[in-house]
Formats: sequence, C-alpha cells, structure tokens
Amino acid sequence: MSEITTIEPFTEGFVEALLPELILFTGMLLLILVPNLGKGTFRIPGTQLRLPWLLGGTRFKFSSDPRLPAWIASITLGSAFLNVLYVFSQGLERVLIVSESGKELLLINGFSRIFELIFFGALALAAFSSMNRLQVKGIGSKIPENELYNNRRQADFYILMVTCALGMSVVALAQDLFVLFIGLELASFSTYVLVAFLKESKVGVESGMKYFIVGSVASGVGLYGLSMLYLWAGSLQFSVLAATFAVSGTTALPLIGIGFVLVGFGFKVSAAPFHFAAPDAYAGAMSPVAGVLATASKAMGMLGLVRMLLIVAAPESSDGSAVWLVCLGAMAAVTMTWGNLAALGSDNPKRMLAYSSVAHAGYMLAALTAVGAWNWDAAVAGDASAAAVAVMTALLFHLVVLVAFKLGAFLVLSILESEGGGSRLSSLGGLAKREPLLAVAMFIFMISLAGVPPMAGFLSKLLVIMGIVRVAVGDMGAEISDGGIYALGDHALGLVACLAYGHQLSHFRLLLSSCRRCDVL
Amino acid sequence: MAGTEVTTTVHSEWMQYAPLIILLPMMAFAVILFLGRVFNGHPFWKKNLKEGGLIALPVMGASLILSLLLISEFLKGYSGVEDIFEKIAWVNTGIWNGGSTTESVSFGFGIYVDHVTVMLLFVASFLCLLINVFSIGYMNTDPINDNRNHRFYAEFVLFCSGMLGMVLADSFLWLFIFWEIMGLCSYLLIGFYYERPSAASAAKKAFLTTRIGDVFLMIGLVMLWDLFGSLDYAVVFDTHNIEMVAESSAGTLQWALGLMFIGAVGKSAQFPLHVWLPDAMEGPTPVSALIHAATMVNAGLYLVARMFPFFGAEALHGDLDDLAFIIAAVGGITAVMAAAIAFVQMDLKKVLAYSTMSQLAYIFTGLGCAMYLANTLDWHHDSDAHYIVVVAFGASLFHLFNHAMAKGMLFMASGSVIHEVHHAHHHLHHDDHGDDHHDDDFDAQSMENMGGLASKMPITATAMLVGSASIMGLPLIGGFWSKEGIIANAWRVAQDDPRFLFPAMCVLIGAAMTGFYMSRMWLKTFAGKPNNEVAAHVGPTNIWIKTPLFILTFVTLSSILLAGMGFTHWAADTEYSFLSEKNLIDGILYEMGHAFANSDSFFFILTYVAIFLGAVIGPGIAMALYGGKLADGEDTKPWMRPVIRLSEFVNKRFHFDNTALRESSLAIALENRLYIDEYYDKAMLNIVAGFSTKVAEADTEVIDGTIKAIESGSQSLSSVVRSLTTGSARDYILMVAVGTLIISLLIWGVA
Repeated sequence: MSEITTIEPFTEGFVEALLPELILFTGMLLLILVPNLGKGTFRIPGTQLRLPWLLGGTRFKFSSDPRLPAWIASITLGSAFLNVLYVFSQGLERVLIVSESGKELLLINGFSRIFELIFFGALALAAFSSMNRLQVKGIGSKIPENELYNNRRQADFYILMVTCALGMSVVALAQDLFVLFIGLELASFSTYVLVAFLKESKVGVESGMKYFIVGSVASGVGLYGLSMLYLWAGSLQFSVLAATFAVSGTTALPLIGIGFVLVGFGFKVSAAPFHFAAPDAYAGAMSPVAGVLATASKAMGMLGLVRMLLIVAAPESSDGSAVWLVCLGAMAAVTMTWGNLAALGSDNPKRMLAYSSVAHAGYMLAALTAVGAWNWDAAVAGDASAAAVAVMTALLFHLVVLVAFKLGAFLVLSILESEGGGSRLSSLGGLAKREPLLAVAMFIFMISLAGVPPMAGFLSKLLVIMGIVRVAVGDMGAEISDGGIYALGDHALGLVACLAYGHQLSHFRLLLSSCRRCDVL
Repeated sequence: MAGTEVTTTVHSEWMQYAPLIILLPMMAFAVILFLGRVFNGHPFWKKNLKEGGLIALPVMGASLILSLLLISEFLKGYSGVEDIFEKIAWVNTGIWNGGSTTESVSFGFGIYVDHVTVMLLFVASFLCLLINVFSIGYMNTDPINDNRNHRFYAEFVLFCSGMLGMVLADSFLWLFIFWEIMGLCSYLLIGFYYERPSAASAAKKAFLTTRIGDVFLMIGLVMLWDLFGSLDYAVVFDTHNIEMVAESSAGTLQWALGLMFIGAVGKSAQFPLHVWLPDAMEGPTPVSALIHAATMVNAGLYLVARMFPFFGAEALHGDLDDLAFIIAAVGGITAVMAAAIAFVQMDLKKVLAYSTMSQLAYIFTGLGCAMYLANTLDWHHDSDAHYIVVVAFGASLFHLFNHAMAKGMLFMASGSVIHEVHHAHHHLHHDDHGDDHHDDDFDAQSMENMGGLASKMPITATAMLVGSASIMGLPLIGGFWSKEGIIANAWRVAQDDPRFLFPAMCVLIGAAMTGFYMSRMWLKTFAGKPNNEVAAHVGPTNIWIKTPLFILTFVTLSSILLAGMGFTHWAADTEYSFLSEKNLIDGILYEMGHAFANSDSFFFILTYVAIFLGAVIGPGIAMALYGGKLADGEDTKPWMRPVIRLSEFVNKRFHFDNTALRESSLAIALENRLYIDEYYDKAMLNIVAGFSTKVAEADTEVIDGTIKAIESGSQSLSSVVRSLTTGSARDYILMVAVGTLIISLLIWGVA
C-alpha cells in the first residue's frame, strides 16, 4: 500500500484530489447560469446607458434549448466519471484531507473511487438517456408538452441530478460522521425531489411525498444513532470511533447507536422492513430516476453500511461486533425473501423491478454479513479471511454490474413509458415484434438479473454466494467450539445462502412477457 | 483405487498426425453440412462436388493414408512395443472423495495403438474410403436423393469419424463416446428416407435396441472405473493393477466385463438384441455396407477383443471362463439362428443382413474360445500354449477382417444390383406409361425380380461370387482360412470343457447353413433365366460402383497372402511381428499344410468335415434347388461359366421338390423371424408402455403437482406480502418503527 498523503483544504494537491467533485460543482453552477443567459441589460442608474450583462431578458436560442441542461449535466457527470477513470489508470494516490485542526474529513482511495465510478456512471447514463424522455403518459394527469420541455424546468431536473452525484461522492469520501450525514442528506433530498419531479402527476407527488416522509423518519432514527455514537465516543471521526469501539464496543450506547444507524441505511438500501416506500417511489418516479434509486442510491446505502459496520464497528475489534451480525443476517434473509415474494406477483414492471432491487439488497446485506463474520476467532480464520476479501470484491462487482443491467432495464421501461405503455406487464407483450432491439436488450438485462450464466449477474451472484458459503463453512469450527451467538450467526448465513438460490422466478416472468409474441389469432 | 498410471509414451513421426485421422472427417462433417445448406441445388455443388461426395472423398483418402502410415510405422518400428501414446489433457478436474479435499482427475484424449487397433484401423479407413467411392456412384445417380445428398455425406463422414475415433481411443471412456457418436449417426443414416414410415421406425428400432446394450455397457464401465479408478487402457491393462483388482474382486470384474459384453451384443446385433439389424436395411445401401460390414457391427467385436488383456492376465487365471463361455454360446446361438432365418429371405439385402449376424456370431464364438484358452492355459510360460492362444485370438480377428472385406463387397454388389434393377424398372415403366412415378408394388430388392444377371453385370456378379465364397469358407478363398481356425478352436476348447460342445456344434452346422444360403442368394440372383421382364433389361453399372468392387475382389482373394504372412499371429500378439516367423512362401506352405494336412488326426478329420459341410453339402442343396443355366444367347465371363454349368448339372441331377418344406411351420416361423420381434413388441407394449404410462401419471401428479403447488403457494404468499404495502405513509412509518424495535431487541437480546 502506498503512503497516504495528508493535505489541508485549498493547499497544494487539493484540486487534483477533489477534481471530480469540483467538476460537479462547476457543472452545477453552469446549469444555474447558462439557461438564464439572455439579452438582459443593466441600466446604469440615472443614465440612459444600458450595459448588456447577459442575464435575464430574452434568452438566446441556445440557452433556451430544452436539451441544453441535459447536455451540460451529461457532460459534467461524464467528465467526472472519466476523470475518476483517468485517475485509476494513472495509479491511484491515497489522499487524506484533514481540517486545520487535524480532523480527518475526506479520504480518497481506491474503495471510494470505485463507488464514485458507480455513482457518476449511473447518473451520467440516466441524465443522458432522459434527455428526450421527460414526457410521460399514463402517470396521472395530462401535462402540456411545452410545459415539460420548458428549459428552466429541465434545468431544475438536472441540477438535482448533479447535486445527487455530489452528495453521493461526499458519502464515498467521508471520514467523519458529520460529513457523511451531510453528503447523505444532500443526495437524499435530491432524490426525494427527483421522485416527485412531475408535480402535475398525482402519483409522482404522492410517491415522492411518501418517500420523503418515510425517508425522513429513517434518517431521523439514523441521525439519533449517530448522535449516540458521538455521545459515547466524544468524537465524530471514524478513526477515533473505531479505536474506541475496540475498547468498549460492547456497552449499550454504541450498540444501540449502531442499531439505529442500521435503520437509517437500511432505508437507503431498501432493506425490509424499511423498504415499503421504495416500490411506491419507483413506480411513481420517472424510470431513469427509479433506475438511479435502484443503483446509485442503493450503492450509497451499502457504502454507508460498509463504512459504519466494517470500519467503525469493525468485527475483529471486539466480540461486541457480533451483535450487529445477527441483525444484519436476519435483515438480509427477510429482505431477500420479501423482495422476491413480492416481485413474484407484481404486475407493474417498475414495481417488480423495485421488489427485485429489494431482493438484491438482501443479497448484498448477506454478503456484508459474511464479510463481518470472517474472523471472530483467529484460530479458525485461516482461509476465511481470503474468502471475506473475495466476498467484498464480489459485493463491489455486483454493485458495478447492477448499474449496467438494472439501470438498463429501467431505461428500457422509460422508452416504453414515454410511448405511453409500460405500467403493466402485459403491455410488454409482443415487444420482440415491435422493437426487436429493445426486446433483445431487455432479454439480456433480465437474464442477467435472474443470474443466468454467462451473464455478469450470474457471476456476481455466484461470487457473493460462494463467498458466503465459504465463510459459513469456514466458521463451522467456531460454531462447534463456541456455540451460542456464533451458531446463530452461522445459521443465519446458511439460511441466507439457501434463500439466495431460491427465488429468481420473478425476472423470468418479466422476461417471458416481454418476449411473448402477439397472439394474432 | 488401484490407479497408478504407467504409460509408455512414445512420440513418433506419424503419431503426431494420428488425431487428424479422426479430426479430418469430423471437420468435413461441419463443412459439408454447412456448404450443403448454403449451396443446395447449385449446379456446381451438384455436378462438380457431387453434393459433398467429392469433399468427403479426399478427406477419407487422407484418413486412410495417415492410417496406413501409422500402421506401417507400428509394424516396422514399434512392433513389440506395447502401446504408443499421445495424450492430450482434455479435462482436468477434481472428484470429491467424501472428505474435505478433492482428488484430481484428468480426462485426456490419447491415441492407443496396438495390434488390434492396427487391424481395425485399416479395415475401417479402407472400407470407409471404398464405400465413399461407391456412394458417389449410388446416391448421386438416384433422383430420389437429389438435393439432400449433403445430409448423407455429412452423416457418413461423422460416422467414419466415430468409428476411427473409437478404434484409436486410448480409454474405454472415449471408446464409449465415439461409440455413441456412431449410434447417433446410424440412427440418422438408417432413417435417411425419413419420409417413409418403415425407415423412420427402423431407425428408431436400431437406436433403441442398441441403447439397451449401451445402458449395460455404461454400467459395466462405471463398475470398471470403480475397480480401477480409471478407464484408460494404460491403467486397466497394467499387469500390476489387474493383480490388485484380481486379489479382491475378480468376481466383480467378471460382472463388469459381462455387462460391457451386453453392449457389444447390442451393437453387433447378436441374439437377443439382433432385431434391429434386418430392419436397418431401410437405409440406403452404402449405409448398410457401412454399418454392417465396415464399422458399426465391428465395434462390438472390437470392444470384446479389447477385453482380451483381462482374460489373458495371469492374475485372473481361471476366473473368467464363465464369461468366455457366455460369449461363445451367444455366438453359437446367433450363428445358427441367423443362418436359418437367412434360408427363407427373399430380400437380397436381408439375406446379407442375416449373414452378417451369423458371421459376427462366428467371430464372437472365436473370441470366446480364444478367451477361454487364454484364461485357462498357462500361456505366459508355456510356449505351445502361447501359440495356441495367439492363433485362436488371431483367427477371430482374421475372420473379422475377411468378413468385413467380403461383406462390404457383398453389400456394395447388392447395391449395384438393386440400383440397376431399379433403373431398369424405372426405364421400362417410364417408356410404357410415360409417367415419372415409381411403382410402389415393385420391390427392387427382391430376388424374385432378378435372375440371370451374371451376363448383364459381370463385375458385380464376380464380386458377389468371390464374396459369397469367402463367407462360405470355400477352400483357398478369403474367409476359409479364418473360419477353419474358428471351428478348429471351438472344438479344441470343447475337448477341454464339455460346455463348449454347444458352440462348437453350432459353428459346424452353421458352416453348412452358410454354404446353402449364400449359394442360394447368388444363384437366384445371377444364374438361371431372368425371372421377369425387368431383370432382362438390366444394364452394366457405373464406374464409381465398379471400382470398389474390383478392388475388394482382389483383397478378398489375396487373403491367403495375409495368412501366409502370419496374420493370425501378429494380429493377435505383438510378440510375433510382421513376417517374423517365416518368409511369405514358407508361410503360405505352412498354412496350406496346417489346413489340409493337419498332423493331429482329430483336426484333420474336422477340417474335412467342415469343408464338406460348407463347400459341398450347403452349396450342393442350393444348386439342386435354384441352379440353372443362363437364358439362351447370354454368356458370361469365363470364370463364372463353370459355376453356372455346375449348378445346371446339379440342378438337373438332384433337383427335388421342396414345397412341403417351404410350407412347413418352421419355414413360416423363420419367415417371421421366429416371432422374436412380435414377442418383443408385445413385451414392450405390456411392460414398458404400461410402466411409461404410470411414470407419466406420476410426473403430472407428483412432480408437476409439487411445482404447481409451489407456484400457487408463492403467488398467494406474494399477494399477502404485497398487501402489507398499503400505500399509506403512516403504515410505512409504523413498519420502520417495528423494524427499529426489532433491531433494538435483537441487539439487547444478543448483547
């Protein structure tokens, strides 16, 4: 591992280190300014002299172009993505940004950069593909076309996209509870508004509202948990928290704190039973937004959980960490079962994808549990630590490929939606005949979601499950010797592994209906 | 597991090209199929490439040349070397051995060459090439095959690939894989005219009947794997490994080999799995030749011959004699039964089919006897015993060779006859009525529609004559040398073990029967007067058909040369190499003396009894019944004249009325194939079909029922779960609260 460079804000190296975020910030400013450029003039008081200052007034042709904000946002997000990619190709430097008083604020390393890739990639794709597709039929009320294509309204939409990306990247970099929460809420609020963006549509507003209310409650509980952690450790720094946890992690305060934090992030990853607003939100939002919720937003939640559970409440630091393993394992099992069961009967493709995304959250939580379970006992650790690394890699891989196929599926739905159909499974019937290209794409996305070899979805799922099984088997020795808690955790793992194989049926239903030919006679 | 691998890997100049012998036809399969699909009906494809025939031809030629190079190298340089190996690792995997580790296992593909391989490799590649030539003359001149010959050639080359692969494979696993490729191709080829219901059902019958054997073969192979931990020849034939297995489980080994033998019974159409072979005549004639002479039926023999090292192993001395008897007895039963059915067949190709069964049965008897000898005599140390075993085994292999050549020729000759009769019929019919339809009532394969063809088709008649003589075992020609050997060995064993009197009697009687039905076939087809107008108008055949007949006639006639070169010795055992014992002249003289003036009086008498039965009694009766001179003004080649004249003479002198015999219940039973097919059908209908119905019911009720229950169960569960999503934010918050509470409780409870 290379050395960590420590720099203070606005000193040398700061701009390079935070270039993607700065690009986003610039893009956001551009999104605010550029659509307002016009022939506006400024009259010097007391004179007849009018100075053109380009803001307001009759707008230029280019600045009133409805596609302009989309272009700016796409280019901004795309260049941020490419920048991160470039940094990767150049060999990553690990940079820690500290405040003047020496508090660690942001850490830039490979892990955070990978998540940034996921966020920026997903949002750039969503932004680019929603360029012409804001018009939505069948979502509630009739909206005049020119209203939707109003350039200012478009600008709002894309500003929210960019702020969402900014918030997520802050979560990825955060080394401090406060920074983490700021990033989280920035991203969350952006998504709440994005979900309810079609204010003329009853469904959209309602779902956005519900999402906001439930999200606020969850965030509130999570924040309460964070404050408990602060109360206990006297610091917001991850490094300090982790060190304190190793010493006195088994006391009630931090454990309850961690439990509440689980609630907050559980909502973000839409784990049961905090997922209820998610299907409504997905179904009410525009498909690209729903796609972002299912991929980038979920990745952010997972990232938060990884930070809180594996870094702060690191399992090897003390026995007390085992307690959240049980919670997480149970949550994972319930989540994947619930999601898959609910997806099985859903008739709305977006709802079905939403439930499937709930189920995916379950798999990822299971993987996280497996990572956490790796070495309670050094004597039996052995191979299992390698397995834990493998599971973590698998988790990341799963998140990355999820962007490809889940977002892809939502984007296919968005095309159908803008044509007026797509709210029912049956409206997908005969797609293969009408839109062969779309149908093929949807086919590939679906079999990948269902985990059919040789698709990426299969590989990622296989890696996750293999890892879980390996950890579970590797810990068998511990179970026999120690019993108790460990056994409970292990059984949860075994159950989880079984469940994960189980219900992939729902995807096939979607698949079938989209491939079914029109029954002509 | 006794598997310590001892491989003699010899890299030699031509060895590296040996896989091409298999791969070239396999690639040609894809090429012909693809091009045939794309260019179907294109004039160039049709005229210049013969719809793929001329793609297959050079490929089969190349396979033959490579095979010959390999064979010559084996005979020259490596005679005396046990095996030549070229191993390509194919799958490296692990097998879970019940514990926490896996045992690494490698399945490789290698080439195994020994004396048996060499012999069959030559037979297969040589006959495949000739049949290819024949097919071009036969298939491409019949308008019924137009625009689908590419399918024939593609399946043909794949079949050849399967056979060559089976012969060259270095393990029983690969043998089985190629065996099944052949099974598939035989299904496809027999059903080539799938639009005919009879052909389709014949294909199914062949496939299913051989499948019965294959299931047993597979079980046998699994048992063998269990015993040795490998199916590689190098492992299973290793003396040390055999010793280890013999100590603990010689009985199991006998069962394994016995089950494998059932597979061979199916493939080689022996009683009781013989029913598919006569029906398989529904395929085009080149297919019949391919399946019945050159390749597929020999596969079973090859499998049994491959088991020889077990029988010959010192460690298993006397343990496997029961199996050897079973092999010989199955051969004996089939030899007599098939010959008897052949008596009454009117269809030219069916006579040959039954003859094939009968002759293969001879070879099985021969192998069984040789294996008995190897298993009971102390042939590793006693040089006399060694000689006896080697010659017994060699005689069987030699008969395989002679029979393959002769029967290949006979099938092609019969194809030639059928082809021309068909054309003549078509010609007449076309002229008379001016329409192009085939007359469905006319059977071009029936001997009723032939007769006197010796003058019309001299080459074909000669080939048929030589082939028949070889099969009958007429002294000095082809099969005589090997057939006498088999009969003599059967009786030699019978002296040791009275059980063997049964097969020994069978093969002796079978010799007379063979003499009768082969003579009958030839005389009915070629001698006498044309039976009808069609037969009188048959013309000579084309060059593609003539060439292979011509070549094979000479090969069959020259089998004395091979005998003189000590074929029976070096085909069976590498200790004797090519011409190692004596030079050619001495060898021929020795064989002559051995056959006709045996010093042992028992075998001396036996030889003449066999000759008398096979060459005098059998043909004599046939001549008395069916002989006759050609129509007036017709003449044939000088070498066939004496035969026809003799038949005429015998017919005049000894002719008797056989109507009573022909109408006896036995004859009718024989015409109905001893009702075996009917019994099988009934058994199938009652047992298998009934069982299938029950299974189908169980499938719909239990398996589908369970799945449907799971499906509807999860659907209803799904609606329950979804009903919790009420759409009210208040309920959602309630759920969040419940979740928080549960998490707190869990943490409290655990901590």
